[in-house]
Amino acid sequence: MSRRLAQIICAIFGVVMFLLFFSPHPAARTIALTITTEYWQVIYAFALIVGAVSFLRVNVKNIQRGQDSGYRIISLIGLVAMPTVAIIWGIGANTPFMWIFENIQVPLQSTVFALLAFFVASASFRGFRARSLPAAILLISAVVILLSRSWVEGQFASGLIATADWIRSYPSMAARRAILIGIGLGSLTTSLRVIVGIERTWLGGGR
Amino acid sequence: MKLEARHWTFVGLLIVVVGAMLLGVRPDVTISDETQRMFEYIDSLPEGSVLIYSFDHESSSLPEIRPAALALVRHSFSKGHRIIGVALLAEGTGIGYRLMEMAASESGRQYGRDWVYLGFKPQYIAAILSMGESIEKTFPQDYFGTPYDSLSMLSGVVNYQQVAGVVSIGDGNMAVHWIEYGQSRFGIRISSAMTAAMVTTYDPYISSGQLHALIGGLRGAAEYETLLKIGGGGQRGMLAQASAHIYILLLILAGNVIYFVSRRRRD
Amino acid sequence: MLETILPAADPAWLDTGKLPTLVAAVIAIAVVLYTTYHRTSREAYRPRPIAGLRAVDDAIGRATEMARPVVFTPGWGGDIQRPTTIASMNILGQVAEKTALYDCRLIYPTHDPVIQSVAQEVVRESYARAGFADRFREEDIRFVSSSQFGYAAAVEGIISRQKPAAVLMLGTFEAESLIIAETGNTVGAIQIAGTDSTIQLAFFIVACDYTLIGEELFAASGYLSNDQAILASVRAQDMLKFVIAAVLVIAIIWALVIPDSRWWRF
Repeated sequence: MSRRLAQIICAIFGVVMFLLFFSPHPAARTIALTITTEYWQVIYAFALIVGAVSFLRVNVKNIQRGQDSGYRIISLIGLVAMPTVAIIWGIGANTPFMWIFENIQVPLQSTVFALLAFFVASASFRGFRARSLPAAILLISAVVILLSRSWVEGQFASGLIATADWIRSYPSMAARRAILIGIGLGSLTTSLRVIVGIERTWLGGGR
Repeated sequence: MKLEARHWTFVGLLIVVVGAMLLGVRPDVTISDETQRMFEYIDSLPEGSVLIYSFDHESSSLPEIRPAALALVRHSFSKGHRIIGVALLAEGTGIGYRLMEMAASESGRQYGRDWVYLGFKPQYIAAILSMGESIEKTFPQDYFGTPYDSLSMLSGVVNYQQVAGVVSIGDGNMAVHWIEYGQSRFGIRISSAMTAAMVTTYDPYISSGQLHALIGGLRGAAEYETLLKIGGGGQRGMLAQASAHIYILLLILAGNVIYFVSRRRRD
Repeated sequence: MLETILPAADPAWLDTGKLPTLVAAVIAIAVVLYTTYHRTSREAYRPRPIAGLRAVDDAIGRATEMARPVVFTPGWGGDIQRPTTIASMNILGQVAEKTALYDCRLIYPTHDPVIQSVAQEVVRESYARAGFADRFREEDIRFVSSSQFGYAAAVEGIISRQKPAAVLMLGTFEAESLIIAETGNTVGAIQIAGTDSTIQLAFFIVACDYTLIGEELFAASGYLSNDQAILASVRAQDMLKFVIAAVLVIAIIWALVIPDSRWWRF
């Protein structure tokens, strides 16, 4: 029964949101505003609680089992410390929350992001090889684009940027558009399956 | 631990990037069409135009995205635009405020009159849609808790109809959401500053006009700084980025040489 | 609750500027509903083989033989309302059924609490369907971090420590894609990826064994489950592609013959 109710709610909201897209009427816009500012936000707030509780449960259980306890204790300290600091001193500029954010969170995040550069280096060394004619064409295109996006292009013939722009504007764009159309159609059919109730995986069960 | 080939590629990259940064050279850059277009767009907006700057990125991409964001905000302030700052990713909240506060104090712009910061709103799709109906309803208060209707700059600003455009400072697909929900639903003009890796993703949107203008990564920031005739992080990072690009090209070349030599030996 | 707070700028119920979009949407919806509910056309349709999907069975088999887990990540970029996430969830259900059958551990780290809750139910039900409900481990389907690189670091850590034999990356990915794929490569896992993010496809093609490109991800769940409703919608996608291609060709010819014409620009 609860699944059937969820499906009905989903179908109604799916159709309503679709129709609202095409209507500039004030009543339609008010309904859209209520759904987006109130319902969605409330759902999100509850979802965050679910996530925090799950995170807490999994980590406490693993600490009890002695699995990767060090990492998990640090995670839990972070989970408790940030909201505590935010509640006591607020989250504005020059607060302890912002200090932790700027001096711990930002460097940590940037470090992980910077790993990408190293992985690009190793992946290009290992995987980017002219094994066949198409692979060779791909390789040459990549080299041209890379050079055109760095400062060194000033040292080469001016045709380099024009060639790179041509690659981006025609073969690359055509392929991207084709993929985007395919993805758009895939999204459309999946959404329709959800709205008409054929697709029920999102409810946590089979079709 | 035995070092493998990939570890040596890592060490090499570290040496190249750090070495280039220590040199401190700021090479000249040629201006690409896309950066020129963004510059002309911001430059052409009349004084007093309201622009939304949306900080849609996480702290991880700060080194790459900040120079472009700073150059854009400085340009807007210099042209007398009124700026509404928002963040659709939580981590962009503090970053966006700091950046706008810095640019505003440099150019003597006053909070509440010339710029406001509305802070973070979760559920970005919902936020984009609801701002199209009512910005006040989406952000009843600013970042500091001041009611929306107490901020003089926002008087008369109801929704996107009173806004000249949105500039999404992003490191991922957020500009796509602005296009899909803001541009297609409400017709608001979307522009973006983004990480270099994301630029080609947006080529179809630029070509179709759904995305009005964009600048990409450090290179785009360096170009924008050149157009504004100011220094900045983009120009400082150019040599390191160019050196890393050449290093990657050399790695690709080395990988291919090894591949063909080993294939010949096998044959 | 529904007080009218907006100026009555336009009392019309239909925005005529969006009429072409409405017509296109109605045609697309009609085609999808037709293929889904028209039994004869459903039975006639068989999708082409997709190499990456045929490798899913091998990957799980390999993990079982090596007594190592399978890691399945939906990426950081999506939420539950995104169609890609729903398609990914369908594949998760099929994969979970097989891991239950082979008694192979399945680890599913996610960045979204709602996705976590749904994924737990999907996997639990798949284990029950396979007849091994007792093998389901709720803590393996877990929320790790909503921050992009916090998530990337967590998945990287899981892969480094657990050394899975197979890593399935199916969903919406952003910059974390290569970090996860390269880490999986380092531990020698079979890697199957599929995403709707065109930029990340380039990274996956270099770093993974098999890559599902764009719409193949949406076809994957129908292919794996042989579910006729999903296969019918895949057929609708193909039919709509032909329609779009035909409109494009007509528009190109029209634009060449009458360059001032703008009817196709909406």
